[in-house]
Amino acid sequence: MEYRDYYKILGVARTATAEDIKKSYRRLARKYHPDVSKEKNAEEKFKELQEAYEVLKDPEKRAAYDQLGSGWKSGQQFRPPPDWASGFEFRGGARPGGGGGAHAFEEEGFSDFFSSLFGGASPFASSTRQRQQAGRDHHARVDIDLEEAFGGGTRTLDLKHPELKTDGTVELRARTVRVTIPAGVTDGQLIRLAGQGEAGPGGGRAGDLYLELHIRPHRLFQLDGRDVTLTLPVSPWEAALGATVSVPTLGGTVEMQVPPGAQSGQKLRLRGRGLPGQPPGDAYVQLKIVLPPASSPEARALYEDMRAKLAGFDPRADLRR
Amino acid sequence: MNHDVAVHEVRLMGDADWIAAVEICRVCRIELEAVIELAELGLVQLRGGSEQEWQLPAAALPRLAMAGRLMRDLGVNVSGAVLAVELLEAQRELERRIRRLERLTE
Repeated sequence: MEYRDYYKILGVARTATAEDIKKSYRRLARKYHPDVSKEKNAEEKFKELQEAYEVLKDPEKRAAYDQLGSGWKSGQQFRPPPDWASGFEFRGGARPGGGGGAHAFEEEGFSDFFSSLFGGASPFASSTRQRQQAGRDHHARVDIDLEEAFGGGTRTLDLKHPELKTDGTVELRARTVRVTIPAGVTDGQLIRLAGQGEAGPGGGRAGDLYLELHIRPHRLFQLDGRDVTLTLPVSPWEAALGATVSVPTLGGTVEMQVPPGAQSGQKLRLRGRGLPGQPPGDAYVQLKIVLPPASSPEARALYEDMRAKLAGFDPRADLRR
Repeated sequence: MNHDVAVHEVRLMGDADWIAAVEICRVCRIELEAVIELAELGLVQLRGGSEQEWQLPAAALPRLAMAGRLMRDLGVNVSGAVLAVELLEAQRELERRIRRLERLTE
C-alpha cells in the first residue's frame, strides 16, 4: 500500500495547531465538497481530505501517525510497523469527536493505508460499532442511462464491505447484487434493498442498502422530472407551411404535425411520451429552424426573391414598440 | 475474498411514499431536531401529530441527505444548509436551462 501524507493533503505543516488543521479542512472541504464543487475529481479529493482530517483532528491518532516519522513521502510503498500502536492508551466508549456511526460510515471509502492503521480491528477503531444493535444502512450511487429509466432493466452491482471476523481480523467481502430497476424511475430516486446493509452486530437487525439513481445526460433528450425535451431541427418551409415530421421519442419514432407558421423555440407537446409513471411524463419537442446555406447561385436567388417578395416582413418589429 | 451473488427484490421509493421521520434520520444521518428545523424553514414537508407519527415524503430524501452532508462536512448550520440546498438546486435548474438554450442556438 502507499503512504499518505495527511499534512500535505490538508496543506498544513507538521507543527500545525488543531485550530489550523480545522481551518484548513473547512476551507478545502468547501472547495472540494461533491455537492458544491465543480472541480475535477472533487469526490476523490474530498474523501482524501476527510481521511486526513479524521486522523489529524484526533490527538491520539495524530500522535500515532506522527510516530511513523516525517521521512515518508506520499505514494511511497508502506507497511505498518509490527509494533504499530503499542504503547498507546485508548479512550473507551464513543469515538473521539462524537457521531461514531456517521464517522464509521464515512470511513468506508478511506484508503488501505488508513484501514491498516486505524480501521477494522485496530485499537483505534470505533467501539460503538460493536455495541450497536442494528446494522448501519449502506448507500451506493448508480448511474443509469435514460433508456434504462424509461424501459427499466436489470443492473448488476459489485459491492465491497469490510466485515469483522470472530478472531478480530477484518475481511473484505465482495458480493454481487442484481437489482431490477423499475421502468419510470426519475433522477435522484432511491431504491431500498431491505436488510442488505451492514449486518446487525449481536444478531441485531441488518441495515438497508439504499441505491441513489442518477440518470446520465442524454445525447438527444433533456430530462426534467418525468418530462423530456427534444430539440427538433426543421426547415424554414416545414415551419412556415406545416409538415408531418418523424420525431424520435424514448418509446420509438413517432410522426408529428408541425403546425403552419411555427416559430423557432416553439414547444409542441407529445402527451405521455416522457418517462412512464402515474401520471406519465410528456415529451416536449422544441423546434429549431435551420436555414439552408445560401451557398449556391440557386439558393442565393431564392433568398433574394424572398427579400423582394416579403419586403413587408420585419422580424424586429417588436423591438420598436 | 468471499464472493456472494444474490438477486433481490427491490422497493422503489416513489412520490406517494411517506417515511417515518426517525427512519429518515437514520438514512440521512441527521438529528431529528435538525429535520424539524429543516421542515420549519420549508425545505421539507412534515406530517403527523406526534414525534412517533411524524413522516416525510420519500421524494425529500435526496434534499435531506444533501442538507445532512453539508451540515456534517462543512459545519454549516440548519439555516445555512437550507439556503445552500435551495441555491444549489436553483443553480442546477439554471444550468439545465442554459444547456437547453445552447442546444437551440447550436
